[in-house]
Amino acid sequence: METQATHRPLDAPGTTPSAVELHGVTRVYGARTATVRALDNVNIGFPTGSWTAVMGPSGSGKSTLLHCAAGLERVTDGRVLVAGQDITDATDAELTKLRRRVLGFVFQSFNLIGSLTAEQNVAMPLRLAGQRPPRKVVREVLASVGLADRARHRPAELSGGQQQRVAIARAMVTRPAVLFADEPTGALDTKSARTVLRMLRGMVETSGQTIVMVTHDPAAAAAADQVVFLGDGRVVDRLERPTTRAVADRLARWEE
Amino acid sequence: MLRMSWSTFRDRWQVFVGAIISVCLGVALVQSSLLTLVSAATAKVPPGLPPEQERAIRDGYVGAISLLGMTLGLAVFVAIFVVSSTFAFTVAQRRRDLALLRMTGAARGQIRTLLVGEALLLGVLGSAFGALLGLPVMRLQGAMLDRFGFVPAGFTGQWREWILGVSAGVGIGVAVLGVLAASRRAGKVRPLEALRDVGGAGRVMTASRWVFGVIFLAGSIAMLSVVAAVGGEAALPLSICASFTLVTAFAAFAPLIVPLVALPFGLVFRGRLGVLAHANLRTGVRRSASTAAPIMVLVAFVVGMAGTTGTITEAGRQEISRDLRADLVLTTDRPVRDQVAALPGVEAVSEEGQVSFDIGEDDGEDGLEFEGTTGLAIDPAGYTATHRMVATAGNLADLRGATVAISPSESGGWRIGDMMPVHMDGGPQQLRVVALLPETVSGPYILLPADLMRAGPRQYVIQAADPTAVATGLAGLGQVMTTTQWVDAYTDDQQQMSTNIMIALLGMAMVYTLIAMVNAVVIAASDRRAEFAAARVTGLTRGQVVGAALAESMGVVAIGVLLGILAAAGTLAGMAAAVRDMIGVSVASVPWALGSAVVAVAVVVVATASVLTTLSATRTPAIRLVAAKE
Repeated sequence: METQATHRPLDAPGTTPSAVELHGVTRVYGARTATVRALDNVNIGFPTGSWTAVMGPSGSGKSTLLHCAAGLERVTDGRVLVAGQDITDATDAELTKLRRRVLGFVFQSFNLIGSLTAEQNVAMPLRLAGQRPPRKVVREVLASVGLADRARHRPAELSGGQQQRVAIARAMVTRPAVLFADEPTGALDTKSARTVLRMLRGMVETSGQTIVMVTHDPAAAAAADQVVFLGDGRVVDRLERPTTRAVADRLARWEE
Repeated sequence: MLRMSWSTFRDRWQVFVGAIISVCLGVALVQSSLLTLVSAATAKVPPGLPPEQERAIRDGYVGAISLLGMTLGLAVFVAIFVVSSTFAFTVAQRRRDLALLRMTGAARGQIRTLLVGEALLLGVLGSAFGALLGLPVMRLQGAMLDRFGFVPAGFTGQWREWILGVSAGVGIGVAVLGVLAASRRAGKVRPLEALRDVGGAGRVMTASRWVFGVIFLAGSIAMLSVVAAVGGEAALPLSICASFTLVTAFAAFAPLIVPLVALPFGLVFRGRLGVLAHANLRTGVRRSASTAAPIMVLVAFVVGMAGTTGTITEAGRQEISRDLRADLVLTTDRPVRDQVAALPGVEAVSEEGQVSFDIGEDDGEDGLEFEGTTGLAIDPAGYTATHRMVATAGNLADLRGATVAISPSESGGWRIGDMMPVHMDGGPQQLRVVALLPETVSGPYILLPADLMRAGPRQYVIQAADPTAVATGLAGLGQVMTTTQWVDAYTDDQQQMSTNIMIALLGMAMVYTLIAMVNAVVIAASDRRAEFAAARVTGLTRGQVVGAALAESMGVVAIGVLLGILAAAGTLAGMAAAVRDMIGVSVASVPWALGSAVVAVAVVVVATASVLTTLSATRTPAIRLVAAKE
């Protein structure tokens, strides 16, 4: 088993300025007559150390983009590079290793394992990588999401916001090069959503975490460094240093 | 990983308790059958008994051993079937959990290790409980065999130390085997499935199901055609074997068959609830298949076996009625031939007495192997006058002195002029084969000359000019019956015997499949709290949710019954063909009453289990379940 899962793979400076790169990525669903082109020749890079939000109307290919970038789904055409590594044709074993140390995931539905405590959920990725994580490390990560006192609770005993914070702690415990978040605030009330967004912002500021986040919510997108707009499987617009109002305006324009 | 297994265990206890129960009962059943078999095989006949009695006890044990051998085979099959189907179901229930683990970085091998680890844990627990439960089960089985007279009086199963090893091996082995195939599939779960709620609707018909299904189906067809071809003694075990393989093939094809069979239920299930029940039946293919599986096994075995023995009995009745040319049958406890012959009005009489002896067969190396059998000693003239019996070779009239006539239905290979080595108390060492009898299902298989008749019970088959008058004259000698009465009594006897054999063979396994049904219903419901809650917030009352689940479960019972009947029909058709081939009688006896009883029991058990589990799953107010995501 690997022993260096906690080390973040370092990109050779200059060669890959982006943590994740998509080159001419196309993803087609269905077969023969009923095909849907979810992604259509997408070229995009997600810069290292910054937070990118991906927006667009329903069916614009946001989630497919995230899944392809994270190696959860195969692309029909084009290439995907994650942390300098070409994962387009990676085997399942390679992708598994990648999920253990390079990629972290947070989803709208928190996807915690119901039978395990918060602490055990957070420790799971390290255990799966064959490590025996010191309790201290796990507690630290839980403390960093403000849940030091909830370590022994099971998901059912936590609020939605707390569950999502456990999910973030689980994603961060391996110190991944890229954190993928799919509607992380989608199932939360405004207050919990704000807490989660502040936490993500903090990770980008203090440790240069790369985040790729899909969202519907202009307020969530405004917390990112830049916003990419998708429409019909293509990148249709970008926005640097977004504000809630600017994002909402762009969205309104694209959804007309 | 083991801790992970333990946590999952604590959380999904209904599912795992179900799995443990299935292993426990399977182990108890196999252990009890094996111990009883071994005890019967090693039983000593008490010394100092008269030869006739000693032989009877020895033959009793031989019969018990073959019955117990079949019971053991059945127990092993049902245990493997139920345990593997339960385990496959528990794995399918947790697909999303497993996908989630994959998402957090679990490799395929780790998923498999996890599941096999669980299976080990469940196997160990199940085996431990099963070894304990096996003791009362063995006592029960012994009492049943004793009551039906399948074992000599005073027989009890003996405990052996080594059985613990066997039971542990069976329990753990079956559990791990059951989960291996499922874990292979589970290893292929894609991480993305954690995000999409595919439920059981994912691809259920896998390549391995196709391979297994086709192999077993082909095997069943081959076996059934062999049954028709060979006939005779081999037909019964072969057709039972065919019902094993047919059931396995159907189980493999279940994901294809279930939606297909569910289709017509759309016509029966009407209204809002009906539509919901029908949709659930068809989309929850895995759930439906898992519950239908034990029902199918139960129906297939009970209907198949009862039909098979019933067919043989009915064929025997027709054969005897066809071949008997007499009016009265007299049963006595001593020879009274002269008194019978002296009665006025008696036109022909056949004196018949049973003789137990051993036939020696050359087994290749160490000379002869002797096996017990029973022959009918007759006087050829009287016998051919009262029975329509034509030897296929040789001549019955030659049956004098140390001779024998034998049917190929008994054991093959004898030709006219062969010297048959025998052990016969106080009789000759060898018998010359002078005639070959036609194939038969009701006997006689072996005819001996009157010279070899013993003292003791006799049967006289009599032709009379005035049967009523003759019957009155015979009344003082023994029990008199008209031929019709006698055939009916014989048939009833055979039927009772068949029923007893079936209860001895299937009784425990039937109880096992019933419990497996409850198990499947409970496991299925454990996963449906959220679904039921969603139905209730959509506007259904609790009663309506329970009603829809009940209708769905009845649909599942119907599917299981249909498939079971289909498998039984295959067995029955093979058996009927074999009988027609042997004696030229076309019969197929369908056990309507028993079949209906089994279906009724399955309906009641599944309905009760379904209503109770649905009630329990809907006890929490719906809104709380819908709100809580995890």
